[in-house]
Amino acid sequence: PFPARETAGRCSLPVGHCHPLVVRAAHGQNQMLNTNSRYLHDNIVDYAQRLSETLPEKLCVFYFLNSGSEANDLALRLARQYTGHWDVVVLDHAYHGHLSSLIDISPYKFRDLDGQKEWVHVAPLPDTYRGLYREDHPNPAGAYASEVQRVVNNVQEKGRKIAAFFVESLPSVAGQIIPPAGYFPEVAEHIHRAGGLFVADEIQVGFGRVGKHFWAFQLQGEDFVPDIVTMGKSIGNGHPVACVATTQAVARAFEATGVEYFNTFGGSPVSCAVGLAVLDVLEKEQLRAHAASVGSVLMELLRQQKAKHPIIGDVRGIGLFIGVDLIKDTATRTPATEEANYVVSRLKENYILLSTDGPGRNVLKFKPPMCFSVDNARHVVAKMDTILTDMEKKVRSCETLRLRP
Amino acid sequence: MCELYSKQDTLELRRKHIGPSCKVFFAADPIKIVRAQRQYMFDERGERYLDCINNVAHVGHCHPEVVKAAVKQMELLNTNSRFLHDNIVEYARRLVATLPEKLSVCYFTNSGSEANDLALRLARQFRGHQDVITLDHAYHGHLSSLIEISPYKFRKGKDVKKAFVHVAPTPDTYRGKYREDHADPASAYADEVKEIIKEAHNNGRKIAAFIAESMQSCGGQIIPPAGYFQKVAEYVHRAEGVFIADEVQVGFGRVGKHFWSFQMHGEDFVPDIVTMGKPMGNGHPMACVVTTKEIAEAFSSSGMEYFNTYGGNPVSSAVGLAVLNIIENEDLQGNAIRVGDYLTELLNKLKAKHTLIGEIRGIGLFIGIDLVKDRQKRTPATEEAQHIIYKMKEKRVLLSADGPHRNVLKIKPPMCFTEEDAKFMVDQLDEILTVLEEGIGAQSESVISENAPCRAKMPKEAHSREWLDDGTLDPRENPSRKRNGLCTDKHSLLSKRLKT
Repeated sequence: PFPARETAGRCSLPVGHCHPLVVRAAHGQNQMLNTNSRYLHDNIVDYAQRLSETLPEKLCVFYFLNSGSEANDLALRLARQYTGHWDVVVLDHAYHGHLSSLIDISPYKFRDLDGQKEWVHVAPLPDTYRGLYREDHPNPAGAYASEVQRVVNNVQEKGRKIAAFFVESLPSVAGQIIPPAGYFPEVAEHIHRAGGLFVADEIQVGFGRVGKHFWAFQLQGEDFVPDIVTMGKSIGNGHPVACVATTQAVARAFEATGVEYFNTFGGSPVSCAVGLAVLDVLEKEQLRAHAASVGSVLMELLRQQKAKHPIIGDVRGIGLFIGVDLIKDTATRTPATEEANYVVSRLKENYILLSTDGPGRNVLKFKPPMCFSVDNARHVVAKMDTILTDMEKKVRSCETLRLRP
Repeated sequence: MCELYSKQDTLELRRKHIGPSCKVFFAADPIKIVRAQRQYMFDERGERYLDCINNVAHVGHCHPEVVKAAVKQMELLNTNSRFLHDNIVEYARRLVATLPEKLSVCYFTNSGSEANDLALRLARQFRGHQDVITLDHAYHGHLSSLIEISPYKFRKGKDVKKAFVHVAPTPDTYRGKYREDHADPASAYADEVKEIIKEAHNNGRKIAAFIAESMQSCGGQIIPPAGYFQKVAEYVHRAEGVFIADEVQVGFGRVGKHFWSFQMHGEDFVPDIVTMGKPMGNGHPMACVVTTKEIAEAFSSSGMEYFNTYGGNPVSSAVGLAVLNIIENEDLQGNAIRVGDYLTELLNKLKAKHTLIGEIRGIGLFIGIDLVKDRQKRTPATEEAQHIIYKMKEKRVLLSADGPHRNVLKIKPPMCFTEEDAKFMVDQLDEILTVLEEGIGAQSESVISENAPCRAKMPKEAHSREWLDDGTLDPRENPSRKRNGLCTDKHSLLSKRLKT
């Protein structure tokens, strides 16, 4: 009975809005028990065990919370406790959450708010399209990693010490960036040498979205293992759940403070039942493989669009995590901010929901529910094509390209 | 009952995969709860426990109306607050209706901690001030920003008090600086805050906020004296700071007479920011900050968006609405008054009978039993409190102990708690206290002192129970716990013996 509406820009629902299995799991547990983690319960341990099976072996200790922000804040506390250090290295345009502590480590936010704190150090975003080292560089991974080494040296010269390097496994808010392979392992080396930990923020991109792997950091190599992984958003298909996974060593150092960590709702039987249901659906419906195949179809269609429309500067992505970078000029790659905004509003009129991001607000973000189909992909691209063609016809007259009030 | 794992396996898996900082109640003999209804919890063997602890299950565990509201909405839509939806606005409207008029703008979050962190951000953004005045023994949440303002936490860990945090004496008229025999404790305690502000100003610092739990829970069920909040608010406002009332533990009618605990202080007292959580969704993860238009506008004037992925989603809002309806329809506030008064009466009778009880304090269904070794000196009876909660557990009553000395038995049950439950609880407590006092009486007088090793000091029967941990490690504050390693080794031996 509903008109065909599509959501291409929302990733909190990996298995699809209101998936009946997830709803049933939540409902069933809600009727039975929903209390805190100070009592033993099967769900939390079962869920932890299932999650551990998706991760490298040494990431086997879990803390459950309610939001990605809470998870990143705890990751910060864990790193500081373990290392005894205070400072944090982050990427430019990163976003790690809305809490006070996380605004401080999110250049995407602090540049417009309180400014950069002295214990926060910003490394260049490994963006091979618009960053310092681009697709024509022989070894962008190494070059960007050296930038991190440079930041680390700088920090140490000041007599400061690094607790952690925080990075979104695929920077989303920065514009759907895919860091070059090899970048993470090299950075980890530099950070570890400085006595810090590597924190992979999988909140936007975990749970099979990239298709090829369950976790986006796994794109960086079989041997690469972060020290702490944070997860959220898609983990509960919309139910407030989040998680921090780490090593026994880090967990023990945290316990050694003697201060309890208690999260009122985190790890509740209902949240864990929901988390388990999501894992079940991902497996049963083979959504990871699905993301890989639909993702590659979508990428191909978008590449064809790039060949056709000069406003598309870059199409990048993996699985169902894709960005379409709109530019005003091929040489300068100036972000086509207003145009991107316009495309999005025209798409909305066509009942397609997309959003933009990137510091230039010019990257069309695709991170739909994982059940997104090839038909959905064709449909979106067809509409985009029409809109872009239409825009190009009218671009000669500036007036017509003005955004509607 | 269909268990996935045996209790032993559950425990093993927990040790393997759950952060060790996440403690279980009764660590020496944890409880596995598989089901709950109203104010009762059931373990894996079907044993029923009376839950006197869980204020989060505000309208009763697994209340069918809340469950129904959740599933109905889950089947329909659960998305974020960037889309218009009726539930969030209806819920905001209903919440605001319970508050004084100027508190009219809501921000929805997922936890009390998130709410308190946002409250701090709001306060700091308002006038650009940074400093925060907090109460001793306060607990406002587990986030980095909140540990900094929670002496209950930072005094225990390796954290040091930050320069921008100022700790005022907690207005505890039983064990605090100014007691019940003081002419005007409210003013005396408020003047402490005035002094702090003066000192801060002398150091060129500016106060962003005074934050206080309307009634301290972790701090030991403390009820501030009447007039305290008003005076503090006056001083804080004069310093251009704001008053944050943390209602995360105590809101939603728990005190009976009022919906919000801060309302006990009079119509003329209105905080600038109120945070709420815990009972709000009867266990569903949700929380909220409510503030004035002025503060909200100052916050948005930075141009920076505040987006909380799950906060204010249709399901959470539907759940919140269901809880509000139940509080009203089932007259839970009335129940809190009636049962609370009755329980307090019974406890006062108990106090007359047992010298271990130093004070009974409370309002509605928020009550504390302050246990002392000596009524004159008011020495906290820490080990006794631990012993009692374990014994109560054996009698199938769940109670916890808190306060800086872990000697206050906290009672804050689901609001459907009955008079029968109250009587049952008090009867069990009576028996245990009687036995305990006989045991203590049988030993020499000098025996119960804080500096002696734990095993020699407790009544004989206590040797047969394992050493406890009701959730918060406190190696520095509890002297006998300094020997924690020793006690633990000892008790694991004991426990092995018990099992044969």
